[in-house]
Amino acid sequence: MANTKTDEKLQKIAKDLLESGEVSLIIGYTKGSNPYRMRPLFITKAEEAGKLSFSSHAVQDLAVFLKKPEVKKFGKIGIIVKGCDEKAVNALIQEYQVSRDNIKIIGVECNGVIKQNLADKCETNVSESTVYDKCLICEEHIPVIYDFLAESEEPKLVLSGNVKPYSGIEKLESMSAEEKNAFWAQEFDKCIKCYACRQACPLCYCSRCIVEKNMPQWIDTNSEETGNAQWNLIRAYHLSGRCIGCGECERACPVNIPLMLINEKMAKDVYNMFGYKSGLDINAKPVFGVFSESDFNDFIK
Amino acid sequence: MEEKYFEISAENLKKFVERIIADNFEVIAPIDKDGDTFYGKISRFEEANLDILLPKMSYKEYLLPKTETLFEYSFSGVNADIKDGLEAVAGANQKRVIFGGRPCDAGAGPIMEKVFNWDYKDEFFNERFKNLTIVSIACEKPDNYCFCTEMQLSPESSYGSDILLKKAGTQYFAVVTSEKGLNLINPYMNFFKETTKAQVPADKDWKKIFEIERTKSFLDKNFEHNYFQDRFLSCIGCGVCTYTCPTCHCFDIQDEGNLKEGRRIRNWDSCQFGIFTLHTSGHNPRVTQGDRYRQRLMHKFKIYSEKFDKYLCVGCGRCSRNCPEDIDIKEVAKDLADMA
Repeated sequence: MANTKTDEKLQKIAKDLLESGEVSLIIGYTKGSNPYRMRPLFITKAEEAGKLSFSSHAVQDLAVFLKKPEVKKFGKIGIIVKGCDEKAVNALIQEYQVSRDNIKIIGVECNGVIKQNLADKCETNVSESTVYDKCLICEEHIPVIYDFLAESEEPKLVLSGNVKPYSGIEKLESMSAEEKNAFWAQEFDKCIKCYACRQACPLCYCSRCIVEKNMPQWIDTNSEETGNAQWNLIRAYHLSGRCIGCGECERACPVNIPLMLINEKMAKDVYNMFGYKSGLDINAKPVFGVFSESDFNDFIK
Repeated sequence: MEEKYFEISAENLKKFVERIIADNFEVIAPIDKDGDTFYGKISRFEEANLDILLPKMSYKEYLLPKTETLFEYSFSGVNADIKDGLEAVAGANQKRVIFGGRPCDAGAGPIMEKVFNWDYKDEFFNERFKNLTIVSIACEKPDNYCFCTEMQLSPESSYGSDILLKKAGTQYFAVVTSEKGLNLINPYMNFFKETTKAQVPADKDWKKIFEIERTKSFLDKNFEHNYFQDRFLSCIGCGVCTYTCPTCHCFDIQDEGNLKEGRRIRNWDSCQFGIFTLHTSGHNPRVTQGDRYRQRLMHKFKIYSEKFDKYLCVGCGRCSRNCPEDIDIKEVAKDLADMA
């Protein structure tokens, strides 16, 4: 496939940054194992910039690599991000995991990415029924913060409103506690504890996760009812007020647990209770890292 | 057992499956679920999706459950009561049939059997494996992630299947390779018509795109090659490749409980996890994800074959299809073969 204008712009930005020595590594996308897949690409030489590309199959959130020790050692890094992924970079800056000075944000305008299970059946059409739910509620088609921007030539995503994003949340909210328990028990029963949700998450950056702490063993190691529930619930809590909604956990899950129903619900509650959305402002303090007198709880006052 | 050959019409195959379900066999087949296809129990023939190439997960869990209780203990006063987990496994899979899996998945059983019977006989695995009856369907159209032919099997291989079904027009040929397979169909022989090998359509000439021996020969000599660190910079270290793999069999033994009662279990484990090789001292011999993915390649394409004379891979391609970062093991194995 020929380069699009977006590809050319991304390649030019990357080439300039590597040539000038402003960064020593560029993380971007390149064509994947079939025409409907993209994959991460790491380049350190300007002459490799021609491999960079972007399309509606660029599903991965590349911000996940910023937590990797092997990537961190490159020092100054340029990263190609969609609007959703860029919020993860912001959250990492807010939580002092990444320094704004060490990162060049190469934003790419995105009009939605196609669900991978559909792409694997050769879907190429970007529409409200083919993109992820996160794309339907996206307010950051152009990233909030960027040093460079590659605009898209693709048509804007048209929403008729017929597809209701995260419709499962409303259903869950209308359930009784017993029904909710039964719903999640059934979903968590599928969990195999491969930890793809954690590993694909740009904000799960603990060098030693709570499930790996075994003196004492906090979380049951079994992949049955108790262990699976403990794992999935603790992850949901650790992501509350932090999850930026990239949906990578759900995409990576090999057994299709609807993890974004939990994460979006928690994000929604945090917004309703604290007026806070994660990853929008690098100068904001993380919502659960600060106490504010306007917080609704008065037990601490 | 010498192979036996039967003909069965599509209509009779359906009747056969419905009859064994009626006779209380637990039939596990590919079923559509959550927008994908997984192995699961069927109660009617129509629930099986026999058109799908491969379900997202393998059926490894019927041989090696994701969590297995080895024993339970409880104390009352000074008396300890220990319950052997094997009791619960006795006879497991006796009336369980995997129906409509593929030759690659079937090949995984006898390959794993080798490691589970090497120095220690793993009674849990053996008990499950000896009872499970596997009825596979030969593939007509492998996809681009498949490489069973390179892995010394083929889309029509009967290795590991008790019965291999080969479609020919509106009927099937059943290649019965074991007593277990014969025992399954014996009570229902009215659906089957015995035939000869000559009547069964010959296997197609499946082409290889690389030689796995060359991949091995690269691995033999290039432990420190830069390829591993560079190529697997994109590996995020999740366990998807190993947990969806039909042959990956690593497990971790853990104790759960307290002074009064508890149990010893084994859970699936993955060489892609950093903690997998973390020593008590804090030292970790596999520091990077490059080191860890290299280990997976080494184990599959070098170490296992040296020890057990079989590669620890059946070429199903699940690790590639399911990898969140699009690491394609067939492409990798070919890259290595090309560099050898």
